[in-house]
Amino acid sequence: MKKILVTLALAMLGLASAQTVVKLQGFGGNDTAIISSLVREIVNPALEKEGIRAEYQGIEGDYRAALLNALSAGTAADLFYVDIFWSEPLFASGRVEPLNKYFTPQELAVFNRNLLNAFTLRGNVYGLPKDFNTLAVQFNKDLFDEAKVPYLNQTDTWETFKDKLKRIQAALKDVAGLCVVADHARFGAFAYATGWRPFNAQGRTVLDANFRRAFEWYTSLVKDGAGKYAQDLGEGWTGGCFGAEKAAVAIEGAWIGGFLRDKAPNMRYGTTLIPLDPVTKQRGNFIFTVSWSMNAASKNKEAAAKVLRALTSPEAQNWILSRGLALPSRSALANSPIFQRPGKENELNRVVFQGSTGVGGAVLPFKFGALDGGNWMRPINEALQAVITGKKSVDQAIADAQAELNRIVR
Amino acid sequence: MLRSQRTEALYALLFLAPFLIHLGIFFVFAFVRTVGFSFTDATLIGQSSRFVGFSNFVELFREPRFLAALTHSISFMLVVTTLQTLLALALAAVLNQRLRGITFFRTVYYIPSVLSSAAVTVIAIWFFQKTGFLNTFIGYIGSVAPVLLAFGGLFVLAQAVQVGWERWRGVPVPWLDPALATISLVVALALTWGLVGLGVVRPLEARPPEFTWLTNPDRFLGIPIPLWSIVILNTFTTIPTLMLIFLAGLQDIPRSLYEAASIDGATPLQQFFSVTVPMLRPVTFLVITLSLIGTLQMFDQVALMGDAAPLDSIIVLAYYVYNNVFSGEGKVGLASAAALILAGLTFAIVLLQRALGISEKAH
Repeated sequence: MKKILVTLALAMLGLASAQTVVKLQGFGGNDTAIISSLVREIVNPALEKEGIRAEYQGIEGDYRAALLNALSAGTAADLFYVDIFWSEPLFASGRVEPLNKYFTPQELAVFNRNLLNAFTLRGNVYGLPKDFNTLAVQFNKDLFDEAKVPYLNQTDTWETFKDKLKRIQAALKDVAGLCVVADHARFGAFAYATGWRPFNAQGRTVLDANFRRAFEWYTSLVKDGAGKYAQDLGEGWTGGCFGAEKAAVAIEGAWIGGFLRDKAPNMRYGTTLIPLDPVTKQRGNFIFTVSWSMNAASKNKEAAAKVLRALTSPEAQNWILSRGLALPSRSALANSPIFQRPGKENELNRVVFQGSTGVGGAVLPFKFGALDGGNWMRPINEALQAVITGKKSVDQAIADAQAELNRIVR
Repeated sequence: MLRSQRTEALYALLFLAPFLIHLGIFFVFAFVRTVGFSFTDATLIGQSSRFVGFSNFVELFREPRFLAALTHSISFMLVVTTLQTLLALALAAVLNQRLRGITFFRTVYYIPSVLSSAAVTVIAIWFFQKTGFLNTFIGYIGSVAPVLLAFGGLFVLAQAVQVGWERWRGVPVPWLDPALATISLVVALALTWGLVGLGVVRPLEARPPEFTWLTNPDRFLGIPIPLWSIVILNTFTTIPTLMLIFLAGLQDIPRSLYEAASIDGATPLQQFFSVTVPMLRPVTFLVITLSLIGTLQMFDQVALMGDAAPLDSIIVLAYYVYNNVFSGEGKVGLASAAALILAGLTFAIVLLQRALGISEKAH
């Protein structure tokens, strides 16, 4: 009996050691539950025969600080999320493995071109897009009905959009049209519509007349009674105001769907595209995305590549999409029947997905070259804040921001 | 060394080991590494680094943001240490009275220090908003000002009439006689209520000030307004701990000294300055030292304030160090140099404070 037990134990030990464990690291919160289920239900069964097992670890708190720390200490996982927002300095550092060796051009071509380009540096692909988001406009149908204002739609320009917001705010005293945030992550979409770009041909940031036009319009929302400053309403993002019915309109991505499901499950809301610049007749948008990237110091690179393939496989993305959790990065899934289903959340996902296509207009990835996005945006955010709170004139605020940007972008 | 002595030393070391290991790893090793890094151009994600001599230190003093952080840290330290030491001492002196129910007040006044600084900061962000509690409260006080003024005026009038009457009758009552004040209070309340009822005195429309605390780039006494918000916040949360230390110190002062002083005819104020303050010197030294170190290294409240206030108006040295390591490529070399300057500054200021007379010995 003892012999049998010992043999059995040894056999199990042998099995265990034959299995390669690939560690994954990403955001905490919801992602821990979602990716762990994905790994359990789709990835691990697919790789079982090859003796590979993936394990997900979600990082709560400041993910970037944790990842940078782990990379510098040599304890980072085999595969990890890289947010496009701070991706480039990390890719340039040599700590991330280029993926061209592990994937054929045909395998890479199935991903949305815009997204893949966002993770490409000097011809090398440093990450496969996990999923993505763009901005869209959400509006509370009940509040619009109550104020007798027609719904927002995709033909709205900045002017008609602002006019509707003003009418809402005038009719419903306690509700703001939009709660305005001093954040480039929302304002920038309007600046892109004018033709302004964060970096010119010489790689410098110039806050030109186009930028100024968008800046003036965006900050005038508060002054003209179309919106209120988010912080004055005690909120940090437009979704927070929208969920609490402090504002009739929000400008957010598909992430707002899950938030509203918890916060205001019965709210009747609609979604449409970002309004058009009345001069260029264009709209602008951001692509927010996160990649799965490989640790250059990983000891299981081949196995990690297989896990990576499984994580971004059509089955995996369909699994995520069918649960309404995120938008797929594979172009083929754009025609998924899931997008055409009725319902407010499907409409939200559909419009956010459209935001990345031709209808979206000038769509730029949410990244700022070799610079850290946070540092680059800070002067613009502070200029927005100073004008919205009446502390500086538009001229003064833009001049100050330009001086600071000249210092940062050398 | 005798065998027994050796065994004893061994046991001592054994018991000290956890502390020594902790000290070795998190203090000595970290410090030596920081010194090493400060002379290189190391980055958090870079693969290699070069020796660059003192250029990190030179670069720091050329950088406006570092200079802002340095000035903020020093002014924050001076203001907060002064404020919280004085207020903590005053509060401790009040709470040292032998009154019924004083334990309740001691507990209440200690609560802010038990609260997590994250929670307090989040509440403070609401508190200081343009439409937040502080401005609403100021607006409310402004609106009821006529009523308050009427009440105050009537109280003074009633008291003056009563005291005048009593003195005319030859009774030497003081101006703030408690019994007469109680009557004046009731009379003033009744009259004010009547005047408000008749519509003679009425509150104004509440107009909260448009003042912004957190997004205001202006300065007051050379310190940016948002940093003043953090000054208020930090003073509020640290006073209780310092108060408790003072309270312990106060209870150690022999009562006989006060009795002797009062026999000599010293007033309570004279007793406070000639007995309490000198006897509290060792405690004051501890409180000021703790406060100097704590305020120089303040980090959490700036970090938690996040985007609610412009960075350049609240940045302090500790946050500067953090921000340099965990943004962009992570400038470890530069941040280490800044951290060393912070450490040097802390050390120098504590030494200076000792040299300037607040000694550890009581008089």
